[in-house]
Amino acid sequence: MPDGSQKLRRQPTFNTIQREESFRNPHKTGSTYPILNEFVTPHIESFNALFDDSGLPKGDGDGRGLLSLGLKDIGERVVFDGSGELGTESGQHGWGNRLSIWIEAVSIAPPRVPDRDTWSTERKIFPTEARERLTSYRGRMQAKVCWSINGNIHPDQFVMRDCGLVPIMVRSVRCNIRSLPSAELVRRHEEPEEFGGYFIINGNERLIRYLILPRRNHVTSLLRPSFANRGPSYTQYAVQIRCVRPDQTSITNTLHYLSNGSAMLRFSWRKQEYVIPIMLILKALIGASDREIFDNVMMQDYENTFLTDRVELLLRSFKMYSLYTGDQCLEYLGDKFRVVLGMPEDWTNQALGAWLIQKMVLVHLESARDKFRMLVFMLRKLYSVVSSSCCADNPDSPQHQEVLLPGYLYGMIIKERLEEALNQVRNQIATDVRKEEPPVDFLDKRYITKVINKVNWDIGSKMSNFLATGNLVSPSGLDLQQASGFTIVAEKLNWMRYISHFRCIHRGAFFAELKTTTVRKLLPEAWGFLCPVHTPDGAPCGLLNHLSRTCRIVTAPLSVAEIPALLAAHGMTQAFSSSIDGRKNLCVQLDGRVIGWARHPVAQQLATNLRIWKTEGRHKVPLDLEIGFVPESKGGQYPGLFLFSTRARMMRPVKFVVNGKDDQVGSFEQVYMNIAIKPDEVEPDVSTHVEHAPTNFLSILANLTPFSDFNQSPRNIYQCQMGKQTMGTPSTALQHRTDNKLYRLQTGQTPVVRPHLHNTYAMDSFPNGTNAIVAVISYTGYDMEDAMILNKSAHERGFGYGTVYKSQIIDLKEMRGAAKSSASPTLHFGLGHDIRTAEGDGQHTCCHFLDKDGLPFIGTKLDSGDPIAAYIDEITARTRFVKYKGDEQGIVHEVRMLGGDAGDTELQKLHVTFRITRSPVIGDKFSSRHGQKGVCSQKWPAVDMPFSESGMQPDVIINPHAFPSRMTIGMLVESMAGKAGAMHGLAQDATPFQFSEEDRAIDYFGEQLLAAGYNYYGNEPMYSGITGQEFAADIYIGVVYYQRLRHMVLDKFQVRTTGPVDPVTRQPVGGRKRAGGIRFGEMERDALIAHGTSFLLQDRLMNCSDYSTTWVCRTCGSLISLGYDDISLGESSTGTMKATGPGGEYCRVCRAVAEEDDERARQALATGQNPDRSLLPGVKVAIPSSNVLRSSSKGSDLDVVAVPYVFRYFCAELAAMGIAVSLEVQ
Amino acid sequence: MNQPGQQTANAGGSFIPAPRQDMEYICADCGAKNEIKSREPIRCRECGHRIMYKKRTKRMVQFEAR
Repeated sequence: MPDGSQKLRRQPTFNTIQREESFRNPHKTGSTYPILNEFVTPHIESFNALFDDSGLPKGDGDGRGLLSLGLKDIGERVVFDGSGELGTESGQHGWGNRLSIWIEAVSIAPPRVPDRDTWSTERKIFPTEARERLTSYRGRMQAKVCWSINGNIHPDQFVMRDCGLVPIMVRSVRCNIRSLPSAELVRRHEEPEEFGGYFIINGNERLIRYLILPRRNHVTSLLRPSFANRGPSYTQYAVQIRCVRPDQTSITNTLHYLSNGSAMLRFSWRKQEYVIPIMLILKALIGASDREIFDNVMMQDYENTFLTDRVELLLRSFKMYSLYTGDQCLEYLGDKFRVVLGMPEDWTNQALGAWLIQKMVLVHLESARDKFRMLVFMLRKLYSVVSSSCCADNPDSPQHQEVLLPGYLYGMIIKERLEEALNQVRNQIATDVRKEEPPVDFLDKRYITKVINKVNWDIGSKMSNFLATGNLVSPSGLDLQQASGFTIVAEKLNWMRYISHFRCIHRGAFFAELKTTTVRKLLPEAWGFLCPVHTPDGAPCGLLNHLSRTCRIVTAPLSVAEIPALLAAHGMTQAFSSSIDGRKNLCVQLDGRVIGWARHPVAQQLATNLRIWKTEGRHKVPLDLEIGFVPESKGGQYPGLFLFSTRARMMRPVKFVVNGKDDQVGSFEQVYMNIAIKPDEVEPDVSTHVEHAPTNFLSILANLTPFSDFNQSPRNIYQCQMGKQTMGTPSTALQHRTDNKLYRLQTGQTPVVRPHLHNTYAMDSFPNGTNAIVAVISYTGYDMEDAMILNKSAHERGFGYGTVYKSQIIDLKEMRGAAKSSASPTLHFGLGHDIRTAEGDGQHTCCHFLDKDGLPFIGTKLDSGDPIAAYIDEITARTRFVKYKGDEQGIVHEVRMLGGDAGDTELQKLHVTFRITRSPVIGDKFSSRHGQKGVCSQKWPAVDMPFSESGMQPDVIINPHAFPSRMTIGMLVESMAGKAGAMHGLAQDATPFQFSEEDRAIDYFGEQLLAAGYNYYGNEPMYSGITGQEFAADIYIGVVYYQRLRHMVLDKFQVRTTGPVDPVTRQPVGGRKRAGGIRFGEMERDALIAHGTSFLLQDRLMNCSDYSTTWVCRTCGSLISLGYDDISLGESSTGTMKATGPGGEYCRVCRAVAEEDDERARQALATGQNPDRSLLPGVKVAIPSSNVLRSSSKGSDLDVVAVPYVFRYFCAELAAMGIAVSLEVQ
Repeated sequence: MNQPGQQTANAGGSFIPAPRQDMEYICADCGAKNEIKSREPIRCRECGHRIMYKKRTKRMVQFEAR
């Protein structure tokens, strides 16, 4: 604490010199902020895991990448040429030669310049080029496709097939800027802190968002009423396991409980669901006898009549299948699935059945015995749920969740596309064999090469499309619940928004449309893994979360092969033991494999031992092993000791109290652990762990809110939103960015009051706001309802001054008149002869803006409609112009001429960046860091601002009413701390949870203020700037960091008097862009009706909208039957004069009726018949009715009425349907 | 009319290409100055890079200062 009496040499706390040095001379060997590379590791390492040279530890495997593992899983495809004779050696059914094709290997190369380019000295392509040239950052993929005939593998029976250019993740193992130090990155036009983790697609940075998935290889019990709708005798009970293969693809197996006591196993194959009785699988797996199944499920619990009844029913009900041995079951399965699977024709049913089980049932396990044990465990858990001896698991809890990592998803898609390509090759050959023209010769290498090359192997474009759209095109659905929305753009709006993209985690698009809100709930299980504060309010609330700051995602494979033996040595009964009492023993599982059984105390001891071993690194137990010990309980979670070592789990560091070592805790085990928040909260014999820091459960952004523990929690949520909408510093490599829109704050400052993590996350390299002197006073009346008043002088000094960079892409290939598919283009940038460029009176106006090359001068100021480029059409020899689209003044900031991929094409594409100045104006939005947003309502002249005793004026005035209901005490504390910090030259630490009731923040900063000569509580006497009189109350004034938000009136204002109307309805169009109006909707109408303001209603809905006048026929009431006679010429032109209105108007319907009547009357007179003519009502005449004509008007009785134009349109539409509308005119 | 360089095929035949203007551009990678005439490929003579920046104009650019 600063002490006025002592003269100490103060340590600098803002690190200004240090930071400047690191800007001038970026690190030559590493990065300045290593933590930035850490938090994207799940992205990068999951991508690296695709490759054999991933650099990840090997774990239990042989270190092969996911692509290699996937190829192994794809296997081979087989075709026969049908040349064999029936019953000969080559095939019993005349199959003939057996051709099998498989993919031996795939490789993806780093992005390189194409070979056509012979000029480039640098053969690598760097991400900056992809960004600037608006292309994708891609590397070439190749597949080695091999084949063999009749099992004879020949070394030269292979083709290297090109698979196109595959997008590469920046900073991954295939990236050219992988592990470059800051200095090199700057040389490559990157951010010095570039951390990668995204792909570049058409110049945009896109990343695959984390997605929450059910925890792999773990049986969860589900209770869903919808399961009962699956079919007769289905119930709401089921257990589910998401099994993951070594190549990270997954299959979900669900075991449904049927009301007759048996169970059905469900899986899906190519989006089609199949259910198989569990008994069929159990028998098929190991050929188990009924006795064996009974013993394994019962586990000596013979008193449990619930269980005995069910198992008995299970066994009895299977008798109707008459399948007794395992081989019979396999045979049966193979027979049923033969058509669906599409496996080689020469496989026996039994082999097919075995293959089905291998590929579809509990795919994380290799051996049939393991699968059997696991299925029995699932059955036991299912029965346990049904009998309510344990509860159903909550699939929305992070305990049963893991993360879908970008690289794994990418690998899954590549695998599936390769499989598709291989299937296509097989189908093509099969088609050729069937057609027999020309006859297929398998021994002809050229034929097979031709077929392989004929099939579409362009996986690169498919991957680009996936990343560009986020849409998953997949025949199997990849065991995912959604088919779109996987990728997002990493917007560089400001640093906060950018880094939070890499930490956001989505629950799944499927849950977004769910009406229930249970999935959105914040659960205590999420503590430390998902941030409770950082989630958007509104539609995605609770579905789009952000990882807590210290939450990691395990990406390295662990080596756990020795753990079963280790546990067995410490008292675990081996899994194969036949006499285990299921009532007393708990199941011990490692990654969804039953490795043994242990009694409850033994299991507890094993869990404790494992934890000590893993924290101390003994017995080769890896630190990232998750030890989920679920104790026995009455009706709680199903007990057992569940160990997890697989990847994609969320883990976080905490301190293990027992030995003081660092421990990693997973979301499954955390539920059963006692973790103290602070060391002084550790309860002996209860707490096992203690947090490293009490703020670790917050996300990066939530951590950056100063004194967030003083605020009401929704305000911190708002700040997390607004921090991401701030106009800040998006990038330090601004001149190399090609984003559509960039917001930049010109005068960013480092906040005086900031949490400790501000420095850790490089926030000072990308400042986000300005320190402002803020007075909380109701002074002018212009600060009602969250408005704020800006000091005009502060504004003139540059407070909150910002710039928007917009860009426009001009591609001549997309222009009208461009030559399609022609090698030489017909449009060229430049000024043609039709433009007079010589200076003088006749000079074309475009020369004010355009240079000789047809490109704009840099620094030219443009208004809407000004030319920004000229191009010559070779065919017409005319010069055409591209116009500036924006509706506000912009300045040409940069003109990029983009060449072709190989550098051999002339200029066809241009990227122009415009700079638009955005000085703060009335109506712009500002916010403090405490969810206190406000709109600038006035720029108050400095002379009229209130001033303090020292003559200081506030930069910003806010209204005191902003505080009582919102309770953002953090802002008040920040104000005090900022004031003290500014006076003493201190960067104030605003980390939450540092103060307590005994050691209060008010006192700490009050003392500092006192030492600086201010009031203890931060309020001061102030004087009116207008009268000079002192205010009756002291004013709270201090320093608060203000952010300028990107929402600005200039982008939003919408005003119109008259303007464009819809051509059909003649009502004003909507939308700001089209100069449209704002809808005066139903509810607004209701309000006016309620107020009785009928003239206003008439004005809004009629006069200012689609007011129109129209003729209506008084006789028939029709709006749409208007006709005109030209009466100006009189009778001479038309012959007989018909009855019309004064303007010649008449009703065509009524005239036609009248003419018809007349005609009939004439005929009646002519033929002498006397038509029965009823008199008009109310008319009495003394002559015969045949002499009375009808109304004399004959369709000429029309009137003008005002109606909305849509009404006329509506009548016309109705008429088209045969409905006449009749208006009664009074 | 200073008109050097190769002439791409023009459709009408009557079309007279615009005078070739030498303009100096700056390579986005190495920063070298490049004289690229109209219809020449966008490629740096020094390093072969495929992006060029337009140089800032030498014309006087004056805004009304308000």
